[in-house]
Amino acid sequence: MNKSRTLKSIFAILAVSLSLASCDKIEQDNYIVFSGAAGEWFDGNGVSDHSQRAIIEKYTGVRCVNCPNADIAINDAVAGYGDKLIAVAIHDSSVFTRPIGQTPCLSTPDGDAWSHFFGVYAAGQYPTAIINRTLNGNAWDLFTPTSGINSRVDNIIGQTAQVALDVDAHNNNSTVDITVNLEFLQSVGSDLTLTLLLIEDGLVVTQRQPDGSDDENYVHNHVLRDVITDVWGADIECTGNSGEKRIAQFQYTPTSSDWKLSNCHIIAFVADKATKQILNAAQSEIE
Amino acid sequence: MDKTARKLLAIATLLLFQFPVFNILNAQGILGGHVTGNVQFDGQFSRRDTTIGSSDVPEKLLSNARADILYTNGNFSAGLRYEAYLAPMLGFNSQYTGQGIANYFVSYKTQTFAVTAGHFYEQFGNGMTLRAYEDRYLGLDNAIRGINVSYRPWNGVTFKGLVGQQRYYWDTRGLVRGLDAEVSLNDVVTSWAESKTRLTLGGSFVSKYEGDETILSDISGYKLNLPHNVGAASVRMDLSHGGFGLQAEYARKGQDPNIMNNYIYKNGDALWLSASYSQKGLSANLQAKRVDNMGFKSVRSVSGEMLYINYTPAITKQHTYAFLSMYPYATQSTGEMGLQADFMYKFKKETALGGKYGTDIHLNASLITGLDTTVIGGKGTDGYTSTFFGTGDTYYGDVSLEVAKKLSSKLKLTATYGYMLFNPVIEGHEGDIHHNHILVADLTWKINRKNVLRFEAEWMGSDSKYDAAVDDKRCGDWIMGLVEYNFTSAWFVSVSDQYAYNDGIGNYYNISVGYTKNATRLQLGYGKQREGIICIGGVCRQVPASNGLTFSLTTSF
Repeated sequence: MNKSRTLKSIFAILAVSLSLASCDKIEQDNYIVFSGAAGEWFDGNGVSDHSQRAIIEKYTGVRCVNCPNADIAINDAVAGYGDKLIAVAIHDSSVFTRPIGQTPCLSTPDGDAWSHFFGVYAAGQYPTAIINRTLNGNAWDLFTPTSGINSRVDNIIGQTAQVALDVDAHNNNSTVDITVNLEFLQSVGSDLTLTLLLIEDGLVVTQRQPDGSDDENYVHNHVLRDVITDVWGADIECTGNSGEKRIAQFQYTPTSSDWKLSNCHIIAFVADKATKQILNAAQSEIE
Repeated sequence: MDKTARKLLAIATLLLFQFPVFNILNAQGILGGHVTGNVQFDGQFSRRDTTIGSSDVPEKLLSNARADILYTNGNFSAGLRYEAYLAPMLGFNSQYTGQGIANYFVSYKTQTFAVTAGHFYEQFGNGMTLRAYEDRYLGLDNAIRGINVSYRPWNGVTFKGLVGQQRYYWDTRGLVRGLDAEVSLNDVVTSWAESKTRLTLGGSFVSKYEGDETILSDISGYKLNLPHNVGAASVRMDLSHGGFGLQAEYARKGQDPNIMNNYIYKNGDALWLSASYSQKGLSANLQAKRVDNMGFKSVRSVSGEMLYINYTPAITKQHTYAFLSMYPYATQSTGEMGLQADFMYKFKKETALGGKYGTDIHLNASLITGLDTTVIGGKGTDGYTSTFFGTGDTYYGDVSLEVAKKLSSKLKLTATYGYMLFNPVIEGHEGDIHHNHILVADLTWKINRKNVLRFEAEWMGSDSKYDAAVDDKRCGDWIMGLVEYNFTSAWFVSVSDQYAYNDGIGNYYNISVGYTKNATRLQLGYGKQREGIICIGGVCRQVPASNGLTFSLTTSF
């Protein structure tokens, strides 16, 4: 290779490298986005469905060979419990979440924050799940969700709900209008938070299988795309007295054009601000 | 660096140097290589003094210590630096508290290729897109821990690439990627090889990555939509012809809302120009720069001097005399314009102005202003617009004339006059501009080959007056005297006093004794230090008042 060709090659490599590392451009009308953390609370009209629901958060990864088995178990459980069980698939930043080939990365900073907080990342065992962020003794009740789901769900949904919860979401010209209603069925003395999640179904992303092969047509459901509120939720302005009814409305503009709103739904859950344990949850399609 | 890595490195170091360490360190030829290093220990006792505002130090003794050890063997080198801040001396960030291996690297270098893994320092051009450097006196270390590669495919052509995280006290933060290319056309174009005109062109690109975080906007319920990858690029040239030189660099930075610019989305840019001429006995240099929103850090929410990726060259003179350096200029990376002219001339011996031994004059003038800006919004907007040639408030101005003349074979006098204006807004507080006149006389008497006596007298007249509400202890009119005696080529002792005789407060006396032998220097001092600010190259740190003993030991092997 002569000198000029080598020089051209080096400049070409540099040019490609520069373009790969180029900076993000935020359009002027998108400098600020709805934070979701400041939804204003008003007295509401209550919630007709007083169901106690369970929410299973599964920590997973596209390179996790046992995760497809967990998906089967969770899908079966969701089919069996209907709207009493809500599923979330969280891709944190573990080595198991690194995309296979040129497929998109499903990790989220918020999911990663939870993974670190609940000790999933440190334990390094995937899949791992937790239902309603409950404790087992003094430790988080983390378990491998290929079994043991039903007993945990039964234990939760068999209780009377302290807080009834309802969420409604509408697509308003690519902005999602979200309405959340709460009704206190029992008095609650601790501070509570509301967390809103954007979840996407039907994502076709390569997934490593139990036999070690890579399935390019694997369909991922319940994938956490964004935490609309602060990662640990927005404060709920309430007294917590039994019978109290509160309502808040949120507007949310998705921060990525890669997310198909038509495949998304919204999950809301109420949690104890101090203990993080989830009192109740609900979900809604984006109509 | 985690504990395991530290242990491994310590074991590797001991094996490499073969315990006992100190007998071996001085030896040459370890495993066919060489070991060199240096050690520095600075200690400080300080006690309460209400007149200058110093406080008692709970630990009694504060110390900064470091040891650099470098092993080289042909093209290979490896090194580490152990640092201990137990506890950090006054003026150094308390986050330094602790000790450990703060810097370690291995490097392999040939004539055409070099790679460093571990911590490294690097600069692209003038540093306007990237300058990872360390200044121990500022408590500043922006070392990058990662991989740094440079490649010279031909003489005159250099490519550099790096990726890593920056040091943040005892941690590393951010993610920085950078590329740089430089071509010396006289080396590449055969027909230019012998040309008297020399031209070098260069360019660089640096980007940082940060994840998302919640930063609320000024509008209730909304947060900032933050860019995760922020890039900065620059082009530069260095042209010379005989004694003439012209250097220029222009840099731009993409949207980078951060704590320094109040989270605005305006692009940044900076232009630096320098024209110079030099010949025997004469040099002249004219510099200009314009900086607009070019603060570039690897973590957007960190203030202070750590984690800067880039550096804006200072174009004010780095003064050494006490009163001339009492108001140093701190570069305003958010926006400034500046001009500096520097002229040095030597009147030859046996001329009317040169006299028997010749006379050196050094004239320097600089002026720094803000930008002419129009505010269009706050956090979460483009912030402001600016006109390219418009100027805003005056930040700093400085004119100094230094005349150095050897009066006899044993006497040398350096006389300096300086005029300075200083706007306190550059240190972050409001107030009237200070106008100061400064005179310095520095007389050195070389008694004989081993004994030298130096006298220094300084005066500063200022229109500023001490105001307890502002508590700027630099205000007022000052005088200073210093006597320094160097004897036996090894010892020195100096006594000095600065006194605010009008419109100010404070009487700062110091005495120090030092001893130097070969590569070892020991210094002991006692006195009072005025609170203030020290700057090196426009980068500054606060120095609190202190009253007590200081000592310093440096050695190298």
